[in-house]
Amino acid sequence: MMRMKAALVLGVASSLVAACGSSEPEPVVEQIVIRAPGEPAANAARKAATMEAGKVDLVALGERAFAQCAGCHVAEKGARGMAGPNLHGVVGRKAAALDDFGYSNALKSSGITWDIAALDRFLANPAGYVEGTSMVAGAVGDGETRAAIVAYLASTSE
Amino acid sequence: MNDMTPEKKPSKLAKWSRRGFIGAGVLAGGGLLIGIAVRPGNPIGALAPKVAGGDGEQLVNSWVKIDTDNIITAIVPHCEMGQGAHSALAQMLADELDADWSKIRVMQAPTDGSYVVSDTARAFVAPFTLNAADWLEPTWDGLFTQVARLADALITGGSSSIRTTGQGQMRVAGAAARQMLVGAAADAWGVPAGEITTANSTLTHAATGKTATYAEFASAAAEQPMDQTPTLKTPDQYRLIGTSAARTDIPAKVDGTARFGIDAEPEGLALSYAASVRPPVPGTRVASMDAEAAKGMNGVLQILNMGDFVSVVADSYWQAQQALNRVKVTWTQSDSAIKTTQDQFAAYARAIDEAGADGGEKAAGKGDFADAFAKSATTIEAEYKAPYLAHAPMEPINCTAHVADGKCDVWTSTQVPLMVRSALAEATGIAKDDITVHHPFLGGSFGRRLEAVYAVMAARIAQATGYPVKSIWSREEDTQKALYRPAELSRFKAGLDEAGALIAYDNIFTHRNDPAEASVPGIYAIPNTQVRVAAAPRHLPFAAWRSVDHSQHGWFIESFIDEAAHAAGADPYEYRLAMLKDAPRHAAVLDKVAEISEWSAPRAEGIGKGIAIVESFGTIVAQVHEVDMSAGKPRLVNAWAVCDAGYVVNPDGFANQIEGGIVFGLTAAMYGELDLVDGAIKQSNFHDYKMLRVDETPAITVEIINSGTVPIGGAGEPGLPPAAPAVTNAIFAATGKRLRQLPIAKQFA
Repeated sequence: MMRMKAALVLGVASSLVAACGSSEPEPVVEQIVIRAPGEPAANAARKAATMEAGKVDLVALGERAFAQCAGCHVAEKGARGMAGPNLHGVVGRKAAALDDFGYSNALKSSGITWDIAALDRFLANPAGYVEGTSMVAGAVGDGETRAAIVAYLASTSE
Repeated sequence: MNDMTPEKKPSKLAKWSRRGFIGAGVLAGGGLLIGIAVRPGNPIGALAPKVAGGDGEQLVNSWVKIDTDNIITAIVPHCEMGQGAHSALAQMLADELDADWSKIRVMQAPTDGSYVVSDTARAFVAPFTLNAADWLEPTWDGLFTQVARLADALITGGSSSIRTTGQGQMRVAGAAARQMLVGAAADAWGVPAGEITTANSTLTHAATGKTATYAEFASAAAEQPMDQTPTLKTPDQYRLIGTSAARTDIPAKVDGTARFGIDAEPEGLALSYAASVRPPVPGTRVASMDAEAAKGMNGVLQILNMGDFVSVVADSYWQAQQALNRVKVTWTQSDSAIKTTQDQFAAYARAIDEAGADGGEKAAGKGDFADAFAKSATTIEAEYKAPYLAHAPMEPINCTAHVADGKCDVWTSTQVPLMVRSALAEATGIAKDDITVHHPFLGGSFGRRLEAVYAVMAARIAQATGYPVKSIWSREEDTQKALYRPAELSRFKAGLDEAGALIAYDNIFTHRNDPAEASVPGIYAIPNTQVRVAAAPRHLPFAAWRSVDHSQHGWFIESFIDEAAHAAGADPYEYRLAMLKDAPRHAAVLDKVAEISEWSAPRAEGIGKGIAIVESFGTIVAQVHEVDMSAGKPRLVNAWAVCDAGYVVNPDGFANQIEGGIVFGLTAAMYGELDLVDGAIKQSNFHDYKMLRVDETPAITVEIINSGTVPIGGAGEPGLPPAAPAVTNAIFAATGKRLRQLPIAKQFA
């Protein structure tokens, strides 16, 4: 009796396997190809072009450099904050101004309004400028990179 | 109704094991091809090139090879996920082979049907302790998951590697190989085989002074007849089995050369990286994808709407994930009525309410519950709730795939390589023979990698792009979009006689997966019992999670038994012991844990000790946990575990597994919980799905009893089930507060 039932189950197993072979692979709904692996990146090309023209596109450079901030921040209109607040339109804004983000008390009571100079100083050494900020990582030591990031952030205010 | 006491004699199916190894055979339905001798002229010799690389290597049989350096390689059909199975299996082979342990290497068996682990498959279908038919019929989820696996049974799970492959295959392979080597030497030296002794991978004929390494006779041995049932050693003859031989995987794990799935960097392949997002609510799909914001981002190569998920492929994983974060995806609506945790438990409660006093499916039982309950002097009732849990293995879910020229190669951490292969065949339309699943070490699994979805995703992405891609899931994806240990609700009703003895026991809950005996209080002598299942919808998909049903029912049953002891005014240890009078092994384990934990010693103020005993996967484990409640919240101080697995192959490795099971169980008991909000999982990462930290972990003492009982039991899971009830029983002992929900920590926050 027991053996019969076990055999029955094995029979089901083999029919399931048979059924598996007959289904068609699911088609791709949408495939957006930006470039092939190894092909130079479009924005790298853009950077090369601007350098060639003899003037640096600070905003474009800053947008690229913002990648180092993107682990915690977005700078996109309406996007939800992550570990850090959304920085879209931050220039000209009062510190700790977004309702949907839990700022540190230090930042809330700082009285800062973010202009280019304040952002530059804060990014150079966040805790040095606002003691008690929860931004404990992400200082941008390189002045040129910092300027580019701030320029990019400023561009999102326009 | 069937008697609930686990059957001690092996089922008829257990007879398959020995013949299953060397005999070539096919089981009913054609699903299982079992252990095959690989030797010159054997039609299955095609296996040889897959495991023997060079001319200097001679395959003695498909589980062991010996090369010209006298290095012996055990070909192990189970994955290594930290549990030490590779090493312990090699240890079993090496002992029977009289091999030099320092010259033993371990090789992962190729993903080939010839390596299906028939005994493991059988163990999943028919656990050693239970009648197969009794087990199969009532377990709907169990049935289908088992059936699916059966067809592709190159699997690691169920705490089974040692007790199935080790006992039934590695030892037999070692013994057969030794006999063939001895036979070859006897022929060459012209002496009787019986006069040749073996030790340390060397053959010796004392009378003539002849001696040779195994390597010297490896070729000739392959021409020798192969004994179908070689004589195995008795425990008094063991040299390696029963010792804590150093694990073969330690050096690579210490010096960093060990390769895990996520380390895959196949030679000659330039990898691109994929990050993916799957629907937050089970059963839903992609409704729309807006990728504009991601198109210009650094490193992005492709953005894919695959219908059931969205992926970004980029030069690096980080770039892919950053770009994916900017892709706006909307999802179809779920028709599930369950949106929240409350909905889930309400659905369970409704099903149980509807089943009434004696409805639902009768899963097990004996005697006449209703009659005994009516005659009881005291009655008690309790309801317990266990939450959904994730596996949260430390190595992120990943798979590297290359699909080109009608072939598919994947590199991934998996417990089920053959099942992965079948799923890939189905998803890509590529024939199984053209699919190779490379499966290196697993960085933890606990049941998480018993499915194939992540490998299929990687292959589909690689097929769409046409180039090799490493797909990695974010921690958030793994926490929220996987398969889960089910939430469960369990109600008990019991009657005690005048003396306080448990004479009537009723338990009803909503799902029975496996092992089926997990929900049966079979170790205790309770005369009238009924175990019932009232099927109820479950919002999240099911996964086997370390110890499976024992993870919930171990806590349910051992909590309720504790409540019965309290109602009887009895000591929880003595109350259990009284019900184990017909179970001497269990009684011995319980006695021992009471002894080493100084159960009878007085407790300091605020200190509670709790006891629990669960038999799972063939191993009996009793635990006492000591909890300090003096600060108003639990601090885990000490844990004592006593285990009887029959015979332990590697005591250190076994203790490691019991300790790991305890820590995993305590993590879940203290913190583990997934909440449903709008049909999706709320928790996302380790900040809100916490692991037990080192400073929160109790001191753990593990003692092993080798009772000699066969078949032997497992190690990977049995340490877990008693941990949670022993802690909640300890909290009750210290405070009088009975916890009927998990996790613990938030109830004292």
